[in-house]
Amino acid sequence: MANFMQDSVVKYACSCGILNPISKLFFCRHCPKLRCGFCVCHEVDSNFCSNCLENIPSSEARNKKNCCANCFNCPCCHHTLSARATTVVVQKKPEEGAKDGDGAAGADAKPDPSKVITKKMYYLSCLACRWTSRDVGIPDQSVATGSWPDNECAYQTRFNALAEYYQAVVQQDKQERQEYLRRKTPKTHKFPSLTDRTGLTVSIIRRQMGWSDKNTQKAKPVNIAPAQNTEDVGQLPESIFTQKINLRNITTVKQRHNQPCEQPFTINKLYPQRRGLWIKRSLRCRECEHNVIKPEYHPTSVKYRIQLFASYHVPDVLLVKCDQPLKAGEPNAVILKLSNPTLHDMEINIVELPTEEDELKLIEEFKRACTLKDTSLTAATAMDSLKSLTGSPSLTGTASLTNTSLVRQTSILEEPRVVKLKVNSKLQPPEASFILNLRDDSREFDDEPQTTTKSEPEFIVSRKSNKVYLSLKFIPDADLKTGDDVYVGFNMLYTYVNTVTNTPEKKEPTTHVLNCRIYVQVGSIEA
Amino acid sequence: MPPAESNDVKIMNKSIVCEDSTLRGDITISQGCVIHPSASILAEAGPIILGENCIVEEYATIAYRLTEEQKRQKEEGNLEPCPPLVVGSNNVFEVGCIVEAQKIGDKNVFECKCYVGPEVVVTNGCVVGAAVSLKCKQVLPESTVIYGRDCQQREAIDKYAYQTLQIDFLRKVLPNYHHLRKPNQDPKRTRSVV
Amino acid sequence: MEIANTYYSKDEYVETASGNKVSRQTVLCGSQNIVLNGKVIVQSGSIIRGDLANVRTGRYCVISKNAVIRPPCKQFSKGIAFFPMHIGDHVFIGEDAVVSAAVIGSFVYIGKNAIIGRRCVLKDCCIIEDGAVLPPETTVGSYMRFTAKGTIEGGQGNPNFVPTAMQDQMIDYTKSFYEHFVRAPAAC
Repeated sequence: MANFMQDSVVKYACSCGILNPISKLFFCRHCPKLRCGFCVCHEVDSNFCSNCLENIPSSEARNKKNCCANCFNCPCCHHTLSARATTVVVQKKPEEGAKDGDGAAGADAKPDPSKVITKKMYYLSCLACRWTSRDVGIPDQSVATGSWPDNECAYQTRFNALAEYYQAVVQQDKQERQEYLRRKTPKTHKFPSLTDRTGLTVSIIRRQMGWSDKNTQKAKPVNIAPAQNTEDVGQLPESIFTQKINLRNITTVKQRHNQPCEQPFTINKLYPQRRGLWIKRSLRCRECEHNVIKPEYHPTSVKYRIQLFASYHVPDVLLVKCDQPLKAGEPNAVILKLSNPTLHDMEINIVELPTEEDELKLIEEFKRACTLKDTSLTAATAMDSLKSLTGSPSLTGTASLTNTSLVRQTSILEEPRVVKLKVNSKLQPPEASFILNLRDDSREFDDEPQTTTKSEPEFIVSRKSNKVYLSLKFIPDADLKTGDDVYVGFNMLYTYVNTVTNTPEKKEPTTHVLNCRIYVQVGSIEA
Repeated sequence: MPPAESNDVKIMNKSIVCEDSTLRGDITISQGCVIHPSASILAEAGPIILGENCIVEEYATIAYRLTEEQKRQKEEGNLEPCPPLVVGSNNVFEVGCIVEAQKIGDKNVFECKCYVGPEVVVTNGCVVGAAVSLKCKQVLPESTVIYGRDCQQREAIDKYAYQTLQIDFLRKVLPNYHHLRKPNQDPKRTRSVV
Repeated sequence: MEIANTYYSKDEYVETASGNKVSRQTVLCGSQNIVLNGKVIVQSGSIIRGDLANVRTGRYCVISKNAVIRPPCKQFSKGIAFFPMHIGDHVFIGEDAVVSAAVIGSFVYIGKNAIIGRRCVLKDCCIIEDGAVLPPETTVGSYMRFTAKGTIEGGQGNPNFVPTAMQDQMIDYTKSFYEHFVRAPAAC
């Protein structure tokens, strides 16, 4: 894994055909296949502010327009603003002064502390560009957070009217669609009897099913005044041609875009901007709908509740070195270090990469499997997925039929593709398979060197607990020029013991033989 | 780089100059300055006079270098003595900055790893932001703040007085941990104490 | 690629009982206030200002060449105070970096030439890119990447900026860095 900041020389082909280093890959245990960030479903897990690191529930986040209530960005350089305290001397009644004892400490020297006391006042200051809230005349506040005024922009009312209008449009659209669906679905005879027995009213059931009450008014968008274009744009002021512009007083394009509703022209109209929220994501396999990653909710936690990283399940391949300097057309060997991250021994077989036709055939097969799965996707599974999405059991039943728009993007599977990278050397795969020992953390502390019981195949250089150094022979293509990068590719078949099973009745771990395509950039042709 | 002929360092009393610092050439360090370890002041072309209450942090470099022209003249042996580089008072030179400005006023802050080239004139109350590099010939007007990757400029409205307290602290703490260069000048001899 | 061995001469580095490897060409001011919690590498030219306030690092930290670790100061109405600085486990600090953070969590990667301003808070598992400049009092959350452009990117579960297995990767990286930081053979 060496330095993850550098581009890795060993790349794994994801099941969607994109090459990635192992650190960017996930392993869906249920499929079981490699997944990358591109072919999984990204979902918002939790919202938080990246500055105060406070978790904000999604409803509140929506309410606050995805902005933090307490943190501000500098309008000038977009860095976070910090509250600075100053002490000001104010004339106050003595009983009030007793409250803020710390602030009054500086006033000890004053002859009459009962009359002249100091009070802490706060202003916002940017420590990157030295902008302060005083620069634009925002008065200092007596508390550090929460009381900062929001600058209302001039178009706010118009904005609200527009938002209201379009919300109503969406609402109407939704209602019409529901009405249409209701008329289309055949009447099920369960409901009248059910209501009879439980005494549920029709309107309650309707509400449970996510339909609107019959007696509710149809949402009608209120008409708003459409925007008018104007012929008269007005001339530029005379002074713009004659007077020198002080660039320091004029905002940059970036500053204007950070304050989109006003886009101020001069710097004295820059106001602190509320800081946007961040999200934690969970990633979901598109094929089997299981999570591959699910982080903990707490913003400062670095743990995961589900973490199916490829590096926990797939043998890690590391390039150690090339035997000889790389020359075009000359046989060479590369030393690779393989390590087994799992708690089971693995049998590894290294074979040649599939040809392009094979690869296309594989993709074809994969696609067929997907379509099969899609058609067999019954309403029940769609409902299940819906349930897991919303987390509310009350939305079951026919809800999946009405709220079709809510069902997750199950069918959008990432189209697999042919791996772009072409290898330019001929691999001579080793003739036998070999065992990669299981990972045993306690072995690190054993002093005794491992005794090799059986004779190793020739291509294995050495072994050390769960690691194997092996030498892989290859011949770079003869037509390579000096300085060309040499890529070696191989297909690694490995046995994987799956401890989770999809069916509850089958408890034993199953062993699969999986394969992954690995591409190693071994170096460049030397002169 | 030829070594300076003579190290003539004058340190006024009440200033803290760590022994690990590199001081080369004719340097005058006024009262109340704090020179951290591994800082360097290089007076190659002419004397440097550091004003009162300046802080020079680790790996900071204040240099008064010869121009190419002057180097040639020096080799020929007809270099006229350069006027001293006067650094004003209450300046802060933060970690790793390189300042070669031809004139430095008062109350400036040179943040971490900034570079100020030899053709720059720094007036008063300026802040040169971290990692900012000023190479071209220019005069920074008073209270200029230069910040960010694209070296944007703005005028600071708030005054930034900060280092006096820090100097007090450092003056108390540093002698406990560092070998200091002894002050060798008494300001009373030259002028009255402030 | 596997990390290549870095060799050091026996005379240059001091190895402590807890496995710290500290170059002699460093400036460790106020060494009584500096706690290196074991298997920490401090390379030549780096400065740790223990004289200003306590500095404590966790295990398996790497402080590269010419890095400056400097506890942050804060001004109060009555005076100034330098805050102690805590660095977690498995933290890599790149060459020529200037670090004045208040807290650095564990599994943090700080690139070379980075500047961490006063009282910054770097949470666990974050990356500071090479040459990035953090203004004072910046908070970089977990799984965030502070870019050289000055933006913050990423977030937990986003694999494009910080590896999702950052914790394992940093453990791996700092451990193998330590294991490959070996004394040059006596013959040389």
